[in-house]
Amino acid sequence: MKEPVGILAAVCHLPAHKRSVKELFQEEGITLSSEIAARLGIEQVPIRNGETASNMAVAAAREALQLANVDPMQVEVVVEYSIMPQEYLVPVWNMSNKVQAEVGATKSFVVGFSGGGSSNFMVALSSAVAMLSENDSMKTALLVTGDTTIPGNRILNPADPVTVMGDGSSAVVLQRGAPGGVVLDTELWSDGSNHDICYIPGGSLIHPDDINLYRMQLDKARYDAFPKGETLRRMSDKLLERAGVKFSDLACVLCSNISSEDEAAMQHAFEGNVSAVCASNRESHGHLQGTDFPLNYLSLIESGSVKQGDYVLGVSHGMGATAAVSLIRC
Amino acid sequence: MNANIGILEANYYLPSTKKTLSQIFEDEEKPVEAFAANVDFEKDIGIEALHVARSETAADLAINAAKLTMAKSGIDPKEIDLIIDFTSIPEDYVAPTWSAAGQVQQEIGATRAFATAINTGGCAAYQTTLKVATSLMSANDRYNTALLIAGDKTPEFNHNYFPITVVSDGGSAVILKKNMTKRRILGVEVATVGRLHDMWIIPGIHNRKPEDVGGKFPRWLHVCGDIQRFNKELIPINLFMFRKVMLGVLKQVGKKMQDVSFFVYPTFSAWDLKAFCEAFGVPPEKLTMGGLHHGHLQETDMVVGYVDAINAGRIKDGDLVMLATNGAGFSWGASLIQH
Repeated sequence: MKEPVGILAAVCHLPAHKRSVKELFQEEGITLSSEIAARLGIEQVPIRNGETASNMAVAAAREALQLANVDPMQVEVVVEYSIMPQEYLVPVWNMSNKVQAEVGATKSFVVGFSGGGSSNFMVALSSAVAMLSENDSMKTALLVTGDTTIPGNRILNPADPVTVMGDGSSAVVLQRGAPGGVVLDTELWSDGSNHDICYIPGGSLIHPDDINLYRMQLDKARYDAFPKGETLRRMSDKLLERAGVKFSDLACVLCSNISSEDEAAMQHAFEGNVSAVCASNRESHGHLQGTDFPLNYLSLIESGSVKQGDYVLGVSHGMGATAAVSLIRC
Repeated sequence: MNANIGILEANYYLPSTKKTLSQIFEDEEKPVEAFAANVDFEKDIGIEALHVARSETAADLAINAAKLTMAKSGIDPKEIDLIIDFTSIPEDYVAPTWSAAGQVQQEIGATRAFATAINTGGCAAYQTTLKVATSLMSANDRYNTALLIAGDKTPEFNHNYFPITVVSDGGSAVILKKNMTKRRILGVEVATVGRLHDMWIIPGIHNRKPEDVGGKFPRWLHVCGDIQRFNKELIPINLFMFRKVMLGVLKQVGKKMQDVSFFVYPTFSAWDLKAFCEAFGVPPEKLTMGGLHHGHLQETDMVVGYVDAINAGRIKDGDLVMLATNGAGFSWGASLIQH
């Protein structure tokens, strides 16, 4: 019997400075109608004030290791799950190397993931759990991200806004034998025909020098057509059956903080079981990419609405197009 | 770890267009820094020509390699459970937001697969990806077959990676499968020295300088190496780190250096291959040497060296093969394959 892998600590490190969605729409020259405001359900988002994505990631990583009471030298792997472009071009550079050096996790190696959008966190989670459970020499993993939005590109798809993106970072310490937060299983899915549903065309090989194309672009028609709720529910049912857990056994479901419209689709797919912390965090923080899940998980634990042994399902869909579901036993 | 995960098939794709090294050096910017090693970078590198993609995109190179490998293996694309892109330089669109993994999934019809990308390790991304892929397959009954893919296309005037190497364009693919009796992956060891993270970077368009706009070279897409730090901080630890990962993987599986029948090592340069052989007492007949005629192919070097050695009959049944490399970040990786 393999020893389970669980979450020892999770931390979000967010800029103290916040800006209202109303201001951001004004700044980006987009009209914020009451219909759009209601569909988004976001009041304000944290915005960096000089901090870099990697510095925020380092801060989150340090806090998480301290909270977990884990010596950085015990970390065997640093797993990075960012979504937005970093200080230098990925994959030649990746902030995980800097995090490793800055926190002093000198015995570790680093892994980063691309292309999964908001599902990247669960891809990282699944991979880290697999490495810890299958390699005797590995016991502790540090998962980390820092995402800062491209300036002037906080509103995704200005013609028909889908979400408002904030800046933030998070870190999660996983350990084999951890008493709680056990990651029981993760189901991952991708649809390659939608690989270009959302991407940044400029500053890349295809459009090397057009700074105007250095913006996250979304094909809204294809995004809307992608059956997010149905896909995630189907994956969840499959995962729950594999784990021998009934849907009615779940304490709640955690989804990404994309918009109230997206959450409504998730509530519909998951029979109204999406936790209230998701709406609350969405209103106050907007969409924080891979940090949405750690933020919602922390809020759920802090709310006291789940007890040890309760099952929580994390669901996420992202560009790629990808979808991911993780089952956690608190 | 499931010890029966092995390499079912591997192959690579190189664009047919070639450019001579003298033409590369004539076309590209001349490095001004001095290289600590006692060699003439241009004369002693041992590479004569490079493969250069014209209209093909980086993803095309990966797709071509994947299709060749799939055809050679004879497996149905629907058998593939995982696709992992291990490309180590920028792809067609900006990462980590986008990766070519989904496009490959679509093009080969691997409709059951989950596609993702690993974006760390530089040329050692192959080893990092082997570590993750074998762990995922071992931990999950539902992952039986994985396709690892890479496609590298350098910007037109950035084939000169002074002081390390000169780089070709190309793609590679490897199919991993459970229940293999040969070509089993016995172990993988990876190590990272994160303090060297900013020694080898590509700035990106968000770091573009006004003087770079409109010039011949889109420098924001070109690799920038800090040669002084390279000389002072990387060269002194490089062989130590190679020893660490190679001994590490041997220890993992209870083998010794003398048990290794063949080494696959990157084709950075003739002097680098010589230094590796001398440091570890590896005779030339036990090492990939012929790959220099392709030029250096980033993380794909591991696949090219391995495939070429098998095709040339240099790896035989029963051989224990060590694949070892280093890469940006900086990372070092070693894996052992039992034939």
